[in-house]
Amino acid sequence: MPAAKSTRGDIAIVGYAQTPSLRDANPSEVQLLVPTVTAAIEMAGIGRREIGFTCAGSCDYLTGGPFAFVSNLEAAGAWPPISESHVEADGAWAMYEAWMRLQEGDIDIALAFGSGKSSPSNPAEVWAQQLDPYYLAPLGVDPVSLAGIQARALLDSGKATEEDFARAVVNSRRNAASNPNAQLRDADASVEALMAQPYFRAPLRKHDCPPISDGAVAVVMARGDRARELCARPAWIRGMDHRIEAHQPGVRDLTSSPSTALAARKAGYDGGPLDVVELCGTFSPQELILLDALGLSLDGDTKVNPSGGALAGNPIMAVGLVRIAEAAARIIDGSANRALAHATGGPLLQQNLVCLLEGE
Amino acid sequence: MTDTAKEHMVMEHLVTLTYHERLTENLNRYADNLLEGRIIGAKCPSCGRVFVPSKGYCSLCVVPTTEADELELPDTGIVTGFTIIAPVNYYGQKKTEPFVYASVLLDGADTTLGGMDITGVAHSDLRSGMRVKAKWKPRGERSVEAMSNRGWGGFGDVVESFEATGEPDADEEAFKEHLF
Repeated sequence: MPAAKSTRGDIAIVGYAQTPSLRDANPSEVQLLVPTVTAAIEMAGIGRREIGFTCAGSCDYLTGGPFAFVSNLEAAGAWPPISESHVEADGAWAMYEAWMRLQEGDIDIALAFGSGKSSPSNPAEVWAQQLDPYYLAPLGVDPVSLAGIQARALLDSGKATEEDFARAVVNSRRNAASNPNAQLRDADASVEALMAQPYFRAPLRKHDCPPISDGAVAVVMARGDRARELCARPAWIRGMDHRIEAHQPGVRDLTSSPSTALAARKAGYDGGPLDVVELCGTFSPQELILLDALGLSLDGDTKVNPSGGALAGNPIMAVGLVRIAEAAARIIDGSANRALAHATGGPLLQQNLVCLLEGE
Repeated sequence: MTDTAKEHMVMEHLVTLTYHERLTENLNRYADNLLEGRIIGAKCPSCGRVFVPSKGYCSLCVVPTTEADELELPDTGIVTGFTIIAPVNYYGQKKTEPFVYASVLLDGADTTLGGMDITGVAHSDLRSGMRVKAKWKPRGERSVEAMSNRGWGGFGDVVESFEATGEPDADEEAFKEHLF
């Protein structure tokens, strides 16, 4: 086998597709994926059999069946057999694995997808199970309550106010108004109107929390000249990195996200100008924490979550890869030249992934 | 806490997760038809393979199938493979006597129905290739409650079993690509 040259920095997104974020989709998860994966492949202009590696991200706890992820693979066309893998994580981590695989240099095209239907389950019940089995899971601590603790810590630290939370939501709702795939859209959203709403889980109001969503997303990556052949303006992946903090939220400073800052640095983000940032802050205070970790703000030159972000649609297990697809879309359509996308996993921003994308 | 000599601490953590799920459109039509004693499948518009029940897509061609691709199938077919299970008394096991778990390929179908009971034949005489016909439960006793979008359940509660017809066995060529 010839020695493969390092191809890091020479891999690009050349196709993507997503379903709208839906409160309650009747099709099964794999039925959501079939047209989505096909659309991403068609956008890339490749044949299905040209894909050298496929990686999928999903969560059997969401689907409610052991090995549910296996049928999702049928959306990739798994006969005759293909080279594939699965991560029990957001599709962004599937993309990370596929990107690593491409760097071996022996294949030119890889497919990553993520999917999840939150509607059949009670997310408060399901996500308590990702906490440690001794102290927190038996208490049944749900994501909204945990996010409330984080929001309170952020207020107490003086880093943000409840109005700041509302400002993040206004940015999301207004941007989402022009995104047909978003679930919660409101071109007229205002801080005053949001602040007049009652608390849902104090200090969080309902709009500070993500919607319950079903959805799927797929991304096609290609290497070097193959990427240039397939796409007039590929979204080059300059770097991708993910970092993990302590699992137990009680031992962390919940008001900051050092793992996001580190992942961004390792992905090659040097603090230089960014046209777009797509953040997977599923609660409004988390969006502020992430912006702070990246040295950005809602008022800066960088457009924050032009898609509306996770507050406008939260198809868990797809939502992170959606952020990357949205950032790539801005590069490919020429409206941005440098974009950063973020995905998260675990309780309260425990794990964070950053992907830095650039045009030519 | 346990009462063992060693002082292990055992924490009970019983988890119940509840899911509410509507059947997909294709399975909903399949279930409605089963209650009426009809079996429908979906024919792939690309390769012509017939899936029973419809998945809503062809898993080989990766193209969607719709109601327009659905067709009724006969309730006769071939036993492609089987096992005879001697039940172990584990939690939830209601059977006490050996029973059959067979895959049945309906005539005109490309996928098998799994976990079917075969009657009208001694266990020792059961064979792959044996011709069978559905023995439907009375209309009021049919249920599709156990059917799910996850690909199992349902059929076993609308029929009592598949019964051997006594016809000559099918040639192995007819089913060797459809063993499971």
